[in-house]
Amino acid sequence: MQSANMLVKKIVRCSVFPFAAQHGMKKDLFPLTRTLILSPCLKEDNSRSPSEKLDLDAWKEVMKSGLQEVSETVSEHKEISTLAAAREILEMWRLAGRLVPENFSEEQLKTFMECPSKSAKKKYLKYLHLKELYKKNDKRKMDEKRERRLEMQERASKTEEPKRNSFLCLWASSMDKTYNWRVAQSMIFGQPLVFDMSYEKDMSVREVANTVRQIVLSEGSNRRSVDPFHIHFCNFKDDSLYHKEFIKHYREAWSKLLITVTDQCYTDIFPKDKLIYLTADSPKVMKTFDHDKIYIVGSMVDKSIKTGVSLAQAKRLGLETAALPLEKYLLWNSGAKNLTLDQMMHILLTLKDTGDWKKALEFVPKRKYCGFVNKPVHELKKTLNLINVLKLGKRQKELQKQFAKNYSKKLTQK
Amino acid sequence: IQPPEKPLQAEEWNRLRESFKSPEIFEEVMFNNMVRYNSPIDVAKSLLTHLAKSNGDIGYNLLVKYLALCVQQGKTSEIRDVYDILKIRFKILESGAYNLIIRGLSNSDQWRMALTLLEEVKKIMIPSRTNYESCIKAAGRHQEMTLACELYHEMLAKDMVPTLDVLQAFFDYSRGMKDPELQKELFGILLYLRENQIYPHKTFMWSIKLWFESIPGENWRGHLTNITDSGQCPVCNHQLEDSELTEEEYNNLSERIIRDVIHGTDTFRKTSPQEFEAFQTFVENRLPFDIVIDGLNVSHIKPRKMQCENLFEAVNCLAKNNVRLLVLGRKHMLINSSNWKREIMKEMQNKADFFFAENISEDDAFLLYATLRSGKHCKFVTRDFLRDHKACLSDSLTRHLFRKWQRGHQISKKKFLFFFIPQPAFRYDCVVQTTGDTWHIPYKDTFEEKYSYRVPRKWLCLHQKY
Repeated sequence: MQSANMLVKKIVRCSVFPFAAQHGMKKDLFPLTRTLILSPCLKEDNSRSPSEKLDLDAWKEVMKSGLQEVSETVSEHKEISTLAAAREILEMWRLAGRLVPENFSEEQLKTFMECPSKSAKKKYLKYLHLKELYKKNDKRKMDEKRERRLEMQERASKTEEPKRNSFLCLWASSMDKTYNWRVAQSMIFGQPLVFDMSYEKDMSVREVANTVRQIVLSEGSNRRSVDPFHIHFCNFKDDSLYHKEFIKHYREAWSKLLITVTDQCYTDIFPKDKLIYLTADSPKVMKTFDHDKIYIVGSMVDKSIKTGVSLAQAKRLGLETAALPLEKYLLWNSGAKNLTLDQMMHILLTLKDTGDWKKALEFVPKRKYCGFVNKPVHELKKTLNLINVLKLGKRQKELQKQFAKNYSKKLTQK
Repeated sequence: IQPPEKPLQAEEWNRLRESFKSPEIFEEVMFNNMVRYNSPIDVAKSLLTHLAKSNGDIGYNLLVKYLALCVQQGKTSEIRDVYDILKIRFKILESGAYNLIIRGLSNSDQWRMALTLLEEVKKIMIPSRTNYESCIKAAGRHQEMTLACELYHEMLAKDMVPTLDVLQAFFDYSRGMKDPELQKELFGILLYLRENQIYPHKTFMWSIKLWFESIPGENWRGHLTNITDSGQCPVCNHQLEDSELTEEEYNNLSERIIRDVIHGTDTFRKTSPQEFEAFQTFVENRLPFDIVIDGLNVSHIKPRKMQCENLFEAVNCLAKNNVRLLVLGRKHMLINSSNWKREIMKEMQNKADFFFAENISEDDAFLLYATLRSGKHCKFVTRDFLRDHKACLSDSLTRHLFRKWQRGHQISKKKFLFFFIPQPAFRYDCVVQTTGDTWHIPYKDTFEEKYSYRVPRKWLCLHQKY
């Protein structure tokens, strides 16, 4: 208790000291004013207040004066449209320090007004704000890069070094050609991989945009792989939201992509017994990668965790389903078991090339698991049980849970 | 950093600012800390003066922070000054500033000004709930109950949910008044609690009790009590409303369960059309059941026992007195395993009807359907709180119906009891209720944690003494 008191005293003393010192210095700076006001019987702050009082409200005068013209212009804006009003409120929010973007397009303003609730509005604003920030940063980096390049060029022109750019260009374009050759080959001989594009109704606009982004990434990594899949987009409707987003990403390249796009269902193209629908909700766990089967991946991002949507689809069509053996190989930490489409693509490509689960599951985000299981999980559980029985006898279930937790912690520490 | 204790001169502020590690946000951090440490406003003023003199302007965010400090310390004239400045300086204000000003003024003798501000807010945006709350409380404090009621109705019309605080304020401020109109309003609030199944907390309950007892000439007496399981009030011997739904409510609920919970957006997500049809014909052929059991849930009651033994015990216990039982399970229960012995399963099937769903189907939805289809007398057994199914229902009215029905029909088992003793389902309805000359109001202890499936056991009984 005493030591605590001491500590408090020390802190108080420390925090007071600098100010006291400053007051002291001030006295030296203005000896005249001080001596006029200071009288021995009055305390310092009492004596200061009359002279300071006038000072304290000075800011109000400053704020009120000099801005009279502004207030006159206000009256002209009596009738403002709702859009303009919203713009003004947003401007005030920005001034108040909320996360609001600086610039607004008319369209964004309209989407903002259509948001159904306050929190939806807040979220949308934050999203726009972050987007603006990223854009700004990117632009800044680009500018810096350009400057550096210009400097380099200047220096290069001075020293008159031979240019190597032509070789690089050749390299890139020839790589592109090789990739395209491979993909073209896979379109004839390769193993099909189906993206099921029938989930547009289950997603919001932003989720569809995210889905398409992920598919674009997967297509890219497929193209660059040694032995690519023959990608099929099934149930693909022209002029759907998917279509629009794809064109946004690929532009003219969309029609030149080496993939099969169709509005048919996969069940119409392939024999049913060869199809396997990959879904995290499946009760069946995938054991090995089968080179004769055709795997289907649902093109869906579900931020609101709609369980069983793709399982329902597979059930409806009477297809076999499978889930990745995540539990078997990884000590799962947190997060949903559904992976992004590009992660799925990486995993499937690795499996196809090597058949090595450990290598393939490296692509699961690190935050989601604690480590790899070197023995099968059920064996681990058995040994845990044995230890419990030997050590403690009773209360198995509770202790077992604790043990499992500790075990996973140990693994992460390693 | 800790704000200084006394007003500083310009150069002292400058020095402080330079010693701060990121000078560009110095003022903001300083003002935040002033609010946190509740510094004297003179200190804040001196900083504002310094800023005004050096920059010729003060940012909106700093003014709002200064306003927060003034509101915190109840400096009314200062609040008005800041408001005037803001009005001159900016075309409109945003909600944060309005919130502060309205709250600050409503607590002072200039509370009418808060009302005019509320009108001003209405012109540019929808006022927030706290805006209304401050104004209603201010009006109540000055005995302008009609005004308070008007604002309250305006708030309800905008689909805002009033806090219990505001409702309590009504009872606090109308104590001892003899005004039939006002009395009607307060009864309206009690009915609002009833319709939304809201339970007042202890202090709110006291406000209600004191108000009733203060009505001149009506001789209300309030007692705190517990209601017996049979639903009789020990104080006035009044029988509480029973928990049965009306015919219409019942039909409504079963329809909605089938539509929203079982089918939802896609029948395949929880079952399949074939399976559901098979289940429907199965149930129709054997109707009506008295008790429907969630087999898998019950089988996990005692973790150290074999799962089928648990279920066997439960079925045996409930199978007395010729009741018709239906046990719902999944197909994997039929495969002989360490947890599911075929002989025991066979024996059970003589005592009860069994329906086995696919292993990937959800049996809970079937449980609800079978119970509702069997009629009002039918109960069901599960430890599940069925929250996910409640969440599938699309509107709050049906969700309330579902809770009410669940309270009346679910037999749950007390955890960790050694023997299987079914807990009785509630026979009375746990909501605010009245017969005109009596009121019964369930309330919760403030300290007791309350979940939506748990209802309070404590009641306030109010009756008139002649």
